Amino acid sequence: MANGTWRNTRSRGYQMPLAVLFVLAVAIVLVGKAQTTLFDSARARVTDWMAPGLKVVHQPFDWISGWWADLGEGYGVYKENVRLKEENARLRQWQTYAVTLQARVKRYQLLLHAVPDPALSSVLAHVIGRAKRPFLETMILDAGKDNGVKPGQAVVDARGMIGRVFLAGEHTSWVILLSDLNSRIPVVIEPGHAQAILTGDNAKAPALDTLAQGAQVHEGDQVISSGDGGILPPGLPIGTVVADGHGFRVALLADPASSQDVEIVDFKNPIEMPSAPTPKDLPVAAAGLPPAAPPPPPVQQTAPAGNQAVAAPAAHVPAQPQPKTPARKPALKPALKPADTTAQPPADTADDQ
Amino acid sequence: MDRTSSFMASRILAAVVPVTLALLGTLIANLPVSFLGGIVPAPLLGLMPIYFWCLVRPDLMPPFWAFAVGLLEDMLSGGPAGVWTFAFIVTYALIDRQRDAFAGLSGLGAILGFATAAAVACASAYAVEALWYWRVPPLAPVMGELAMSVIFYVPIAMFLGGVHRRLVGPLRSDF
Repeated sequence: MANGTWRNTRSRGYQMPLAVLFVLAVAIVLVGKAQTTLFDSARARVTDWMAPGLKVVHQPFDWISGWWADLGEGYGVYKENVRLKEENARLRQWQTYAVTLQARVKRYQLLLHAVPDPALSSVLAHVIGRAKRPFLETMILDAGKDNGVKPGQAVVDARGMIGRVFLAGEHTSWVILLSDLNSRIPVVIEPGHAQAILTGDNAKAPALDTLAQGAQVHEGDQVISSGDGGILPPGLPIGTVVADGHGFRVALLADPASSQDVEIVDFKNPIEMPSAPTPKDLPVAAAGLPPAAPPPPPVQQTAPAGNQAVAAPAAHVPAQPQPKTPARKPALKPALKPADTTAQPPADTADDQ
Repeated sequence: MDRTSSFMASRILAAVVPVTLALLGTLIANLPVSFLGGIVPAPLLGLMPIYFWCLVRPDLMPPFWAFAVGLLEDMLSGGPAGVWTFAFIVTYALIDRQRDAFAGLSGLGAILGFATAAAVACASAYAVEALWYWRVPPLAPVMGELAMSVIFYVPIAMFLGGVHRRLVGPLRSDF
């Protein structure tokens, strides 16, 4: 095709640069592997620079995309309407039930002095770009560092979680979708509370990996974010479990292809600091306590030779000074008391009330 | 004097057009706008001018520009660094080695020639991606990109042929 004007001009001078460029390309791959953020700042700057143009360009594409999606749905509008009415009636019942349960949970939390759930703030952003490449599925939002967006934050729409921010520019941010090859999200499958990792593989429904042995998972179970790792908030709705023959996948609630406005959730998980150690947790010398009493002497002095080996460790103890009060057993009793009290059934306290 | 300046202008234009089209194709292919709801992946628009002029006028498409276009593809596509740079250089090497075989093709053969080059590019990118993440990525997205690239090559090769005839032209003995 179009090769009629070709004339052989091959020059062997190209071979050497090609070899050098090949080595350079391999070097870029290796450096990129070692430093994964090699291109990130450049990408963020390019996207920031393109943001105003993208907003304008994206509108007709959104319109075409929506029109294309609606075209297929136009045929079953009546049936869909009937189905949605039935579903709406069912969901109203569930809503009433959920409100009742929510009130009950709040009462229980008050009674138990439970730590309240961390407050979530969010930034509303508009989708100004989408890209689907073989090795990356992403969307670009018109909110960046200026709006408080940081990499790692969850992105949700009205239906559920879409993905998380992986690159934040000044005015724009890139979102890695849950279905992307590089996406890994810790999730919980309810009602069995099975822990799993939601693994994207560029398929429409991401896979559920590393399910614990014996975990009970059924088709139709709900998948929510677990919050493990403290980056994503727990409880974000993600999807429902579907079986694919080889294992389980998750039919996502959100549809990134049609989402126009999304929320970037800012989750500040309070860092759990370990409690200050009590003197009992510290080594004897650091706690300023008198050294531990040596083990009581064997009752029978005429023990056989084999038992002497059991008492042998006591040979290390004499290096420490001998305590003046040999009996320290009573000091151990109060420490055991709390464990004993928690083991008791709460029937007594209930009776007292 | 006018003839000389006109000659120089046409020479500069001829040198600039192939590379510009390759960079422009990469930019367009990586525009983050999803046509048809993202059902179809974007074709490798940057590879088409590289393939075309590497056969027709390799003096205007040296390997450095294949490297640069691959680097731009990497930067804009958001994927791992160096994947497409490596893929484009490997593809260029193939075209360069087999230029006689590729250049003799016409019609459907020319499309199959590009399909071979695009398959090498996609396979190289797939292999690097697999090594990068140390697992086997799904094949379907790469196959989709390959199919779209081959389909799009038909009209774009006609466009590139027109541009070549009007703006670039064949190699002259006095160049």
